[in-house]
Amino acid sequence: MSTNPRIASLIAASALSLVFSVSAHAEGKLSIYAWADSIAPDVVAKFEKESGIDVTVDAFSSNEDLLTKLQAGSAGYDIVTPSQHFVKIMVDSGLLEDFGASSLPAYQQVLPEWQKQWWDPTGNYSVPMAFGNAGFTVNRDVYKGPVDSWKIYFEPSAELQGKIASLAQPDEVIPAAQNYLGIKYCSEDPQEMKRVLDLLVAQKPYVAAYSSDNIENRIGSGEVAAHFWWDGNTMRVRRNDKANVEYAMPKEGLVGWLDSYAVPKNAPNLENAKKFIDFMTKIENATAQYNYYGHSSPVKIDEKEAIYTKENAPELFPTVPVKMGEACSPAAQELVTKVWTQLLQ
Amino acid sequence: MTRRVKIPGWNVLGLLPTHVIMLLTLIIPVGIIILVSFSTRGPYGGFEYVFTTAPYKQILFNEGWTGELEFNPQYLIVIARTLLLSAITTVICLLLSFPVAYFISLQKPSLKIALIYLVTLPFWVSMIVRVYSWIIILGKEGVIEKTLRALGLIDSMDSLLFGDTAMLIGLVYSYIPLMILPIFASIEKLDPALVEASHDLYGSRLVTLRRVILPLCQPGMLAGAILVFVPCLGAVLEPTLLGGGKTMMMGNLIQLQFGAARNWPLGAAISLVLMAAVLIFLVARGLRSVRKETRELTL
Repeated sequence: MSTNPRIASLIAASALSLVFSVSAHAEGKLSIYAWADSIAPDVVAKFEKESGIDVTVDAFSSNEDLLTKLQAGSAGYDIVTPSQHFVKIMVDSGLLEDFGASSLPAYQQVLPEWQKQWWDPTGNYSVPMAFGNAGFTVNRDVYKGPVDSWKIYFEPSAELQGKIASLAQPDEVIPAAQNYLGIKYCSEDPQEMKRVLDLLVAQKPYVAAYSSDNIENRIGSGEVAAHFWWDGNTMRVRRNDKANVEYAMPKEGLVGWLDSYAVPKNAPNLENAKKFIDFMTKIENATAQYNYYGHSSPVKIDEKEAIYTKENAPELFPTVPVKMGEACSPAAQELVTKVWTQLLQ
Repeated sequence: MTRRVKIPGWNVLGLLPTHVIMLLTLIIPVGIIILVSFSTRGPYGGFEYVFTTAPYKQILFNEGWTGELEFNPQYLIVIARTLLLSAITTVICLLLSFPVAYFISLQKPSLKIALIYLVTLPFWVSMIVRVYSWIIILGKEGVIEKTLRALGLIDSMDSLLFGDTAMLIGLVYSYIPLMILPIFASIEKLDPALVEASHDLYGSRLVTLRRVILPLCQPGMLAGAILVFVPCLGAVLEPTLLGGGKTMMMGNLIQLQFGAARNWPLGAAISLVLMAAVLIFLVARGLRSVRKETRELTL
């Protein structure tokens, strides 16, 4: 029984941290862990004013970060906003609370096509928040050529060589490569994944950086001519910063995502979380949130008040197929990691 | 002769805060890492308490693309690259720091304090901000490019960002104060009489530097080398932001295992290998200095 003192102190330490986190999240508080800059601050301020609840918002920059944090336990968050495939993984791993989402008023606002999808078939764990897709963006000051295929990005012509950038995580880059090669997502066939690796290895000499930070500056300033990126972000840089960028519409298909409000298991302020989700999905607030975030809204918005339309924000209205990212089995995920490790080894 | 009153156990009690802090912040966390590194990975990350040595085997052996288990040096390559880049950073820091530290030590006391303060100044600013600022300096339309163009030296240039050079600049910049300070301390302790004596004995400047000053400053240089080398091994920011993430360093590899790879036990095992590398380095240096001291004593 020599390990007992260690375990005892471990328990003591975690009990202590639990006491602290519980006291820090007493009534009237709500802590949110969401994608960086994804929730409109003025809508949050309005919620605080109307409800008297004190809201704190922390940011994560990848689904993996969020998953790791929840697995590590007792993060003390009341609302998190994972993407669809991670909602499924988190539900399957017992990390999310069944908060009866589908019977909340909020769920009545969700557009029918986004209700009770494969990642949450009962609709009890998540309320959709925003959706969009991953593709690539080009800087039109630097690159004038066509942008109708993933070939331009993965097998760059001389004009683009050394001037493309990818993301630091494989989560969306590999599905994009699979779209280009005509391989289904989450393939468990090593030979197919070897083809993905070969494609990425051949592209690597022409890639300036694999980085998910600071993308808007890199592509906006022309530091790189093409960057793996998202629809709404491209639109915001084009409109707000007047950057001469264009979001590509590759005919092989974009990689779709949908982020949802979800509640981690044992969230300290479950009722406040429900109040907040109901508040955010009210039509006027959802519209303000859409206007701030610049990604498509899966809940009803007031079309008259919406800033972004098909005319001024074509990024948000793809003209090519969008294939939603899937939750890979452990075997498929192993192959994804293997490709990525060998690519960057 | 007065006998000191000794309360039994007093030492232990007095040191108790240290022991508690060490236990809570070092021993227990390392224990947890060891525990995780011998556990079975969960299907979607996390881990289960089922004993296995698989993570350690995985560092060396992996399933090939055809399915058979084969020796795969992919992680060893990352580890070797990390050791190499950390060593290069340490050497560059050493070469740059010595003249700087020596120069500072020659100034009058008030200026000396001001200069030392300037050396430590970057530590008042967040590490991320400091590394980010290099993106502005090295990047396209950055400070360097604009300056060179204003001077009429170039028309346009390729970005200096992304690559081993940018990463090394970032690493040297981040850790060089940790080298300057201990070298400065050991130069300060240097007895000027010894330098004078060397000159009196017709030692040239070079000989004085090589045979008097450098050997006496060795402890400071070694301390600085450790302070630079060790954090370099775990660097994540510089490889990601300045190196462009094109080649992994150990820090990125560990991050990948806990993130996208969802393989915590492997991440823990690699962390422990990193820790072991540092320990071996420190123990080897510790043994050498012990041996040296005993040799000096016996002479």
